[in-house]
Amino acid sequence: MTAEATVAEISVTIGERPAGTAPGEDILLDVRGLQTHFHVMDGTVRAVDGVSFSVPRGGTVGLVGESACGKSVTALTIMRLLDIPPAEIVGGEVWFDGREILALPEEEMRHLRGNDIAMIFQEPLTSLNPVLTVGDQISEQVRLHLKVDKKEGLGRAIESLRTVGIPNPEQRVKQYPHEMSGGMRQRVMIAMALSCEPKLLIADEPTTALDVTIQAQILELLKAVQERTKSALMLITHDLGVVAEMVDEIVVMYAGQIVEQGTAEQVLTRPMDPYTMGLIESLPSVKKRGGRLSAIKGVVPSPFNLPPGCRFAPRCPYVWDACRTTSPELIPVGGHGQRARCLLHTPAGAPRRAAVFDTAASSGTTAGHGA
Amino acid sequence: MAHEAKSLSTPTGSAPIDVEADAIQAIGMGIAQPDDATALRREEAGADYEVALESLNQWQLAWRKFRHHRLALMGLGILASFFIIALVGPIVWPFDFNTIPQPDVIVYQGRPPSLVHPFGETGGLQRDVLNLVINGARTSLFIGFSSMALGVLIGTIVGSLAGFIGGVLDNVLMRTVDVFLSIPLLFLILVASRFFGNGNVMLIVMIFAFFSWMGIARLVRSLFLSIREREFVEAARAVGVRDRRIIFRHILPNAISPIVVSASLIVAANIISEAFVSFLGFGVNPIYPTWGNILSNALTFIPLGNWWWPFFPGLMIILTVLAVNFVGDGLRDALDPRTRA
Repeated sequence: MTAEATVAEISVTIGERPAGTAPGEDILLDVRGLQTHFHVMDGTVRAVDGVSFSVPRGGTVGLVGESACGKSVTALTIMRLLDIPPAEIVGGEVWFDGREILALPEEEMRHLRGNDIAMIFQEPLTSLNPVLTVGDQISEQVRLHLKVDKKEGLGRAIESLRTVGIPNPEQRVKQYPHEMSGGMRQRVMIAMALSCEPKLLIADEPTTALDVTIQAQILELLKAVQERTKSALMLITHDLGVVAEMVDEIVVMYAGQIVEQGTAEQVLTRPMDPYTMGLIESLPSVKKRGGRLSAIKGVVPSPFNLPPGCRFAPRCPYVWDACRTTSPELIPVGGHGQRARCLLHTPAGAPRRAAVFDTAASSGTTAGHGA
Repeated sequence: MAHEAKSLSTPTGSAPIDVEADAIQAIGMGIAQPDDATALRREEAGADYEVALESLNQWQLAWRKFRHHRLALMGLGILASFFIIALVGPIVWPFDFNTIPQPDVIVYQGRPPSLVHPFGETGGLQRDVLNLVINGARTSLFIGFSSMALGVLIGTIVGSLAGFIGGVLDNVLMRTVDVFLSIPLLFLILVASRFFGNGNVMLIVMIFAFFSWMGIARLVRSLFLSIREREFVEAARAVGVRDRRIIFRHILPNAISPIVVSASLIVAANIISEAFVSFLGFGVNPIYPTWGNILSNALTFIPLGNWWWPFFPGLMIILTVLAVNFVGDGLRDALDPRTRA
């Protein structure tokens, strides 16, 4: 695989730790400078372009951003589930549980999937095989990874269905997905993900396809089982409300890059990047009752035609000349581990900084969280 | 400030996760999910009465719908009885097709249907037409079904390799299919059965299979291409399932319905081809009766008014092909997921 070669060649320092060395024991997943490109007919799409973040053991991290910003591709790259080609992991490292997994042989990676890293997909309606019973599908991976016989596999399936609050699991294992409601199926997906007690749970928009009442139940459930099993959770969503409830740390992505990262409280109450500010402003809230919802103007730039400077520049309300030519770096802001990718936080942006964050404090951000 | 931010969250309320919540949801689905609702109501009622929670797999569901397709059921009945006749008939029917009652007597007129010979007797060696038709059914049905089976096997393997692996292999295999499709099949079959067939039934089966797998290959490839991208395949990969298992356990069962339907149509086509090729004298060795051979032998006697000789084997061909097509039609309706109740 191409990843092996490229990873070996990388010698630059990415993020905080030098490349090629394992992170500390307390870090379960450490993604460093990950670059995933897609080679398609119209050119190359840099879907993930230098993304670095880490998930502590038992910790929760939310990956937030608009559609097509690279959230899901990041997750699929970590799982190594992308088709290569057209995808190519151009650079970066993914350390999981003390091992660099981008270079692992496919066979070992297969043992990791489902067993140590489990994934919950967006569409519970289509993520279950319509011709297999629910029990077959759960026990399939249990038997695969834990090397147990059919009977024990089914027993485990029943057990994990019970864990996720499905009544009558002994009957349910014999049913087919089409005999269940959407909420039930998402529970089955969660049961499936949990059946091997993974160390990391990646949930890719687990509630997007469900109606709001069921969303609430599923999120509560996810939180509850995550706390009980002490597995780490990486939650991918475009819903800031969901991350506010669920995660400790937030990573905001835009056009394949991280634009802001920090603790949930930092990012949601003191957003330092105009994009994050826009996202938060566009949320409906009780205090903004009656007014029009604000939205970020424009659309995500075409991946074939990214702006030369800051990728958010064409849509940014605070843009100035330098933004259109200079590409900002992800730099520490505020001194408490929060980082943002905006020229406002460089010396060049210093004169404008006060004005921006004052207006933000008086109009936009106040709408949600006051100062 | 943090808790202010949390108040933004719309969906995350505090609904308790318990049986009741789901019961309400399931009951809310009403008629659409009767199984859910009854199961959960029973649970609520403390299970003091037992309602069977019946789960049907795809074949049971298909059969439930197939049963209501009258023509398909009729077709299935006709096919089944032909099979039984082909298997048991030669044993039960008093005339053996190898024994010729009066080998030294050659008549110019056959005899029309009578009580002893319900399908009449042939001219020439005075053989019992029913006896010929029954023995012909063996060969004709065998050729029709086994060449289909072999063709579908080849087509499924080629199609699934092309669809699942893709890339260069896909290109090579599909161009091979194109080449096969661009050859005028009829003449090729005639030439091939003359050069390789020599009237041997197994060789005829292989020739037919060898020239009837392309449609299935294209179909299976397209099915694999689309099913491969379905989320449950990705989900299976995400839990570490091997490729081999993904092909056989996750993709193929989902592709089986269209394969079965088009396989049934291939049977009809192959039975007709067999009759046609044998009629032209390029098929099964003419001393063995197949429906096509009987027709071919009857040819010279048709001007003499011996209508019963070609009529009955011809009728069998028509009935079989119709029956197979009706069954195919019924299968298409029964297996189509869009009409699944």
